[in-house]
Amino acid sequence: MSLPGLELTQPTADRPFAAAPPTQISLSQGTEWRFEVAFGTTVRVKLLAGTAELFGTELAPSQTYTFSGTKAAIYTWHGCTLEVNAGDAVSSLDGFLPGEVNGSAARGLSAGGCQSEYTAEETPMVEYANVHFALEEMRQQAKAAGRDGPRVLILGPEDAGKTSLAKILTAYGVKSGRQPIVVNLDPSEGMLSVPGTLTATAFRNMIDIEQGWGSSPMSGPSPVPVKLPLVYFYPSQNPLEADGMIYRPIVSRLALSVMGRMAEDEDSRETGIIVDTPGILSQGKAGGLQMINHIITEFSISTILVIGSERLYSTMVKDYDNKPTSSASAVATDERISVVKLSKSGGCVDRDVGFMKAVRESQIRTYFFGNSVPSTASSALSLSATSTLVTLSPHATQLDFNSLAIYNYIPPTVDEDEDEYDPSQLGTGDPFFTGGGEGGGVDPSSHDPNQQPSHSDEPGSTEATASSSAPIDGLSVPLKKVPGPAPSLLANTLLAITHAPPNAPAPAIRDASIMGFLYVADVDGEKGKVRVLAPIGGRVPSRALVWGKKWPDEVVGLVG
Amino acid sequence: MSSGLASDEVAEDYKNSLEDLTSNDRFQISNLTVIAKENTEHAMAISRVLENHIRTTPPAQKLPALYVVDSIVKNVGTPYTLFLGRNMYQTFMNAYTLVDSQTRKKLDEMLKTWKESVPGSLDTKPVFPPEITRGIESALIKARTAALQQQQARSQQDLLGRGRGTGTPTGWTNSPTPQTAPRHPQPNVPRPNNNGHGYDAARIPPQTQHNSHQDVDLAALNRDIDSLIATARSDFANNPLDNSVQQRLKALLDLQGILQRQELTQEQLRLVRDQVSALAPAPKPVPAIPQASMAANIPPVSTTPVSNILAQQLPQAFQQLLNPGTLGELLKVTAARQQQPTPPPQNPLLYPKVTANMNTPPPAVPTPAENPLIAALKARGLLPATPVPTASNPLMPSVPSAFPFIVPGQVRYTPPISTPHAINASEIKLGVQMNTVSIKIPQPTLIISLYEARSNRCGTCGRRFLTTEEDKEKKARHLDWHFKTNQRMAEAAKRAQNRSWYVDERDWIKSREFGDDLEIPESDAQGESGAGSGSAAAKKSLPKQWIRAPNDAALRNTPCPICQEKFESTWSEDVQDWIWQDAIKVGNRVYHASCYAEVTKDGPAPARGSTPLGRTGTPDSVLGKRKAEDNDSPSHVRIKTEPSL
Repeated sequence: MSLPGLELTQPTADRPFAAAPPTQISLSQGTEWRFEVAFGTTVRVKLLAGTAELFGTELAPSQTYTFSGTKAAIYTWHGCTLEVNAGDAVSSLDGFLPGEVNGSAARGLSAGGCQSEYTAEETPMVEYANVHFALEEMRQQAKAAGRDGPRVLILGPEDAGKTSLAKILTAYGVKSGRQPIVVNLDPSEGMLSVPGTLTATAFRNMIDIEQGWGSSPMSGPSPVPVKLPLVYFYPSQNPLEADGMIYRPIVSRLALSVMGRMAEDEDSRETGIIVDTPGILSQGKAGGLQMINHIITEFSISTILVIGSERLYSTMVKDYDNKPTSSASAVATDERISVVKLSKSGGCVDRDVGFMKAVRESQIRTYFFGNSVPSTASSALSLSATSTLVTLSPHATQLDFNSLAIYNYIPPTVDEDEDEYDPSQLGTGDPFFTGGGEGGGVDPSSHDPNQQPSHSDEPGSTEATASSSAPIDGLSVPLKKVPGPAPSLLANTLLAITHAPPNAPAPAIRDASIMGFLYVADVDGEKGKVRVLAPIGGRVPSRALVWGKKWPDEVVGLVG
Repeated sequence: MSSGLASDEVAEDYKNSLEDLTSNDRFQISNLTVIAKENTEHAMAISRVLENHIRTTPPAQKLPALYVVDSIVKNVGTPYTLFLGRNMYQTFMNAYTLVDSQTRKKLDEMLKTWKESVPGSLDTKPVFPPEITRGIESALIKARTAALQQQQARSQQDLLGRGRGTGTPTGWTNSPTPQTAPRHPQPNVPRPNNNGHGYDAARIPPQTQHNSHQDVDLAALNRDIDSLIATARSDFANNPLDNSVQQRLKALLDLQGILQRQELTQEQLRLVRDQVSALAPAPKPVPAIPQASMAANIPPVSTTPVSNILAQQLPQAFQQLLNPGTLGELLKVTAARQQQPTPPPQNPLLYPKVTANMNTPPPAVPTPAENPLIAALKARGLLPATPVPTASNPLMPSVPSAFPFIVPGQVRYTPPISTPHAINASEIKLGVQMNTVSIKIPQPTLIISLYEARSNRCGTCGRRFLTTEEDKEKKARHLDWHFKTNQRMAEAAKRAQNRSWYVDERDWIKSREFGDDLEIPESDAQGESGAGSGSAAAKKSLPKQWIRAPNDAALRNTPCPICQEKFESTWSEDVQDWIWQDAIKVGNRVYHASCYAEVTKDGPAPARGSTPLGRTGTPDSVLGKRKAEDNDSPSHVRIKTEPSL
């Protein structure tokens, strides 16, 4: 296309799509460059001089980082020069361009093809960094006193920068040679997984700069070390749904696993936990404070960071500041909770419904198909032209609906006569029904082997204690097996594969961590067949499946 | 030999193949060897291509290319030894000067093998005629001696430059009370005038007296430094891994910064200028020059009281430049070196006094009140009232590597602090409390712990390491990880990948995060194809056998038919997949390798070749690998026996 005069024939409307010349952005020390990149477009950023970090993770000099579908900020402590360059538009196989949901043309006209970008001089980075140093101090003290490292809870309304703060604290912790366990309790956005999940992950290696938090393990190598999350499924956006009676026990279970890890993993014990929460808890909704209290108790929170809510801060100070933590050793070591107020960054932008939907779709897509954006960060070393694009090959397969044990949460508030919960109905129609569900957790120990069939010889103390809560609310778990014929609503939704066996009792299924997801491409109700996309080829594991009927929201056309 | 078309084509082909060789890949190397063997009629062309390639390829890729040469001369021999031997001296030395020290070690090892006969061959002649290897060797010895001298010169240079950087003694001459004399009882020396003006006035004469070469032309000096920096940069670009070049560049940049801040007095400038002019013939390692040239440039010190003070004042200035807290220790260590930059006293009477002045651990320092000069400086805020933590230990043993790894393109940036030191995270006094007030106070010194203190950077991902020995090893392993990952990424691109299942609670609790900087014992030896087949026998002495854990849940739960125990999946960072350790697949069944060996006894004997197959990339291992390849490739490459057999 370099023939002279040829470009004259191109319509002028396409002009913005021609590669914009690289823009150089100079940041003085203590400032940050905030940028938004729409889905479907990419922006390449290169650090030419100085130092720069994205949410605490430092950019390597002279490496090209590619961003797509993100709103982020690059901060510099020392001043830096960045080169910003519009990348290629991402062309998905089926023309899926989530950016289009924003209505307007996706590609922005700002520097390097960003949707919007500007340099900000006022940032709360000094505060955020000092929180890290304060945590370091607490870690040193805790080690000297024989306590666990600080357990940090981050609270604040939606779009206040909670996850960004969690990333910064994690990144600085990792940089200081620590290994924090990061817990995501926000089901509206996944961490290392799809939306609708609650996860815990120990971070020892760098957070991926381009891909949110990074990637969970794949069968192949990854340019940035993979992170190993522990994943639970909570198929609703609102943690307070059904008075939190589903969310609450899952949080307890997750906390229990985290505490189990802390007890055994010295690095994590010294570093502590960072808990990111859904904004809705901090927005004065009924039950929000109770849920916060539940989280504080379960994770033995020692430090509460409140961003951007004066009101919540004063409530937290009143209720928790200088109170003993709930950890077992709190009495002996006089460990007390501190509540700290943090400024909200001016860079926090409201992420509109369309953008959030696109983020979620992209997370689901990434789970099955891998990075949609070529990552060039680490290809420089090899100097060969190998692309570091990690493309995953999921496996489409046809399943017999009746062979699946699909469960669905039926909140009691939903008025569906036939769906009234009855523990004795559990497993009806299941050919492998053994009646084991009848007990509903009367004797917790008898169910432990079922929960962890592969490790039945060693029922860890974790499971035993975890199930102790089952008898209390075991009878009220609104989890019901989806009866045949296959409902057409299954199409375009996700099924979570739990680690629980197909005929496990409801509390066990609810509390089970999950091993992965199936995407239902389409449903043939008459033949009783469903076509699903599985991340891995081979037989779909015979486990209890939980249907994400309402959450995460439908993704249309994941499979062509 | 004929430069006909065919030869050109072969050469072109060979050139292209060589360009694909970016890492020490034994398959590519043996492939290139086979091509060379099959085209002996074009040996001359191929040899030229090889030489050209080694000359032009980036330093990081010189080693694999030289391994191709090594492989060819050992496996094919003549006529390649003839053609390649002709220019071997230039080829080898060019490469040697440009690669980092690790690669040099490997080149040394390779050179050693060239002096011996091809292992396992009947021919007892060395690989290359001794004339060739001897020439290279003696050149290397010379270079090494020179480098050693150069390093010594640098370290002195460095000390001087950094000494200036630590303090900010602007205008010490203006301080009203140069009363240093009282501390050093010198009956012969009259008390200096307590009046600052009087002192200044008295100070002028020697300056004007030697105006011609004493007044330092700042602009000229800056120009000189600029050109030195430019040279150092290009050196650095050519040789980014050489520590001494880095240091030198860093020192020069620091010096430039100090000059631009106008913090030096005339005397100091003069010394700087002398140093700079001594540096000008840069690559010549003549340690004596700085001293000599300085001596020549220092004006003859007269015996007048004034110059006496001057001579005394100068070392005094050096003392102030150094951090008071560590001065005593520093002086002890560097007393000998410190004498170099001081003006060589012409007056024999004065000499011992000056030396005494410098060698005495300054008793005044712990009680600064005794030293009015320092007190005055402090009062003006020119000297820090308390030692800044960053300047606490200017003589760390790891100083040479304390300089940030400056990447070309980043050289414009110099960290704002003048003395980057290794600070252990634990050494830093944090002092930030977790409360709303405390976290609002900016803590620039703590930010250093995240950046400058970790000046040893990975160029690929930007990860920072401390400059301690421990962290250097970590970095080496980290770089290894990048290297291996990149290799695997290239391999993995050829087969389909997929997302792994998430682990269950128990596995997660038991799992430990993989650190790419941790030692992975023995896992290097596990090849990608170690699927328990015959090829596994060629593996390392440690008979670790594993297979990828099957994805099929049914297979996954099938126990070992012999012991009836289930297999345990572990995540292998090396393979980036779930694997079963100690497992072997025979037919369609999976056994524990140990069970299977027990039952079959003479089963897959694990340790046949005990060649160190680690990724050391030394010629030895290349030979070993080549040998392993010979087993299944019918090519008639000369087979060598192991030295150990």
